[in-house]
Amino acid sequence: MIKSTRQQFADTMLNVGKENQSLVVMVGDIGHGILKPFAEACQGRYYNVGILEPTMVSMAAGLAASGLCPVIHTIAPFLIERSFEQIKLDFCYHKLPGNIVTVGSAFDYSNLGCTHHCYGDFALLKTLQRTEICFPASPVEFDQLFRAAYQNEQLTVYRIAGKSHGIDFSARDIIFGKVIRVEEGKDVTLIATGPHLRTVLTARDRLGCNGINAEVIYVHTIRPLDVEFIRASVEKTRKVVVVEEHIRSGGLGDEILHATYNIPEMKFHSVSIPDSFITGYGTYEELSVACGLTPDAVIDAVNLWFS
Amino acid sequence: MNVALNKDFRRKIVDMVVTGKDGHIPSAFSIVDIITVLYRDVLSYDARNPEWKDRDYFILSKGHGCLALYVNLHHHGFITDLDMELFCKKGGILGEHPDRTKVPGAEASTGSLGHGLSFAVGITLGLKIQSRTNRMFVLLGDGECHEGTVWEAANIARNRRLGNICAIVDWNESAMQLMPEDDMLKKWAAFGWNVHLVDGHNENDIRAAIKTIQFKVDGLPSVIIAKTIKGKGVPMLEGHGVWHHRIPDQQEYRQIIEALS
Repeated sequence: MIKSTRQQFADTMLNVGKENQSLVVMVGDIGHGILKPFAEACQGRYYNVGILEPTMVSMAAGLAASGLCPVIHTIAPFLIERSFEQIKLDFCYHKLPGNIVTVGSAFDYSNLGCTHHCYGDFALLKTLQRTEICFPASPVEFDQLFRAAYQNEQLTVYRIAGKSHGIDFSARDIIFGKVIRVEEGKDVTLIATGPHLRTVLTARDRLGCNGINAEVIYVHTIRPLDVEFIRASVEKTRKVVVVEEHIRSGGLGDEILHATYNIPEMKFHSVSIPDSFITGYGTYEELSVACGLTPDAVIDAVNLWFS
Repeated sequence: MNVALNKDFRRKIVDMVVTGKDGHIPSAFSIVDIITVLYRDVLSYDARNPEWKDRDYFILSKGHGCLALYVNLHHHGFITDLDMELFCKKGGILGEHPDRTKVPGAEASTGSLGHGLSFAVGITLGLKIQSRTNRMFVLLGDGECHEGTVWEAANIARNRRLGNICAIVDWNESAMQLMPEDDMLKKWAAFGWNVHLVDGHNENDIRAAIKTIQFKVDGLPSVIIAKTIKGKGVPMLEGHGVWHHRIPDQQEYRQIIEALS
């Protein structure tokens, strides 16, 4: 059975926690089962504080102020959106370091409805100084990115994807703050973050059948963004499609548009969640289709440029 | 002597507000006696090394009362005459709410109510994890106790047995303007805290209450409910009227200073 990224989170906490006595994990009444090994191996450094996310964020900032290295974990809308002021003031304004690990971002909890969706988190977090944003969609990504950033002076948010893209990256492929060129191409740049790398790769295969050679770039670190590499690719192709599980406003697409807008004859298209609530139900895959996060959406955009 | 000292601090607070053209005089007068006792008689600290590892912590959660903190930090050598002169002025480090990244001795940047106790609980838990015995004092407003996060933090402090925390509530009845049913003692007791009631303008009373607290690392947290008067010390400023965030004009300034002489 393939390990989930969330299980890797628990495994990484265990391994890093044994190495680093300052690591403290707090959860908001989720994850007890998978974090039990950490709780047993790192006694006195695991706290299920309860269902009070804003206070958990403030407490984590307090842990950091006392010299410890906090990791807090619960469901994205409650940890990012509900607790935004605590993130803003108690971590960022205070200039304190820490780590936030979320599950249930975008519409991973598809049938739980809008109360449990969170597709504006990149936009919110990008308004704050001293935040870093990672979107690991495979176990090795989480492990590498966490180890690279967890002890730095910033507040690092790891948005664990509910689904994996299924691509088997090696550990040395994953460098914090750097993109991965998954496929080389010359006609158009397709950029994906999260599980929709699979969507983009499918689109590339089908575009290839029509003689369009697409470059595919995968982004696991949204902030700091590897602007230099992305810009070089778009300078080559002059066309870019960005696919992401985030609302159009303030997501990865906006960031890439800012980075590339002044490239002559550059064409840009965003395949993202429309700026509205997703009120339907169904599986993750069905909601992806409902939001237009499909290979067809990518292909249609590219074909318009080549018609 | 103590009363005279507090009048000194009150005059200094008024001077800062007049010079800086901003500030909350009555809120500061409500808590200045409490903070004076803490810095003079209770807290362990090193003003030359504010981040001294073994210090006691003091967090002013009701950040808008910061002038009462500033006059004490100044008196005990954390901040300079120039810092005080530049209150609310370009280039200064002192604003209308304390900023921990600028002000030596300020443990938290407060102003948005409902953060201080949760932050304090986190620090105290962190100290406990590290087997450190530093004490934590955190001063909240009674109006601030409308915030749900205060009670989330109170619940955790009790359940994690953070006995090194002493919260102090400035019970000047701001909260009761909106919610008259406000039995502060019963509320904190219901959350499992050791509760002490004091006259927040009687230094002996405040000192005596703190002396009775055992500060056990694994004990129950304590709260001092300090009965105070907003604007205490100058009758024209007392109560919940227009003076909350008002700058005295020249005539009013003279009247206030006369009342404090």
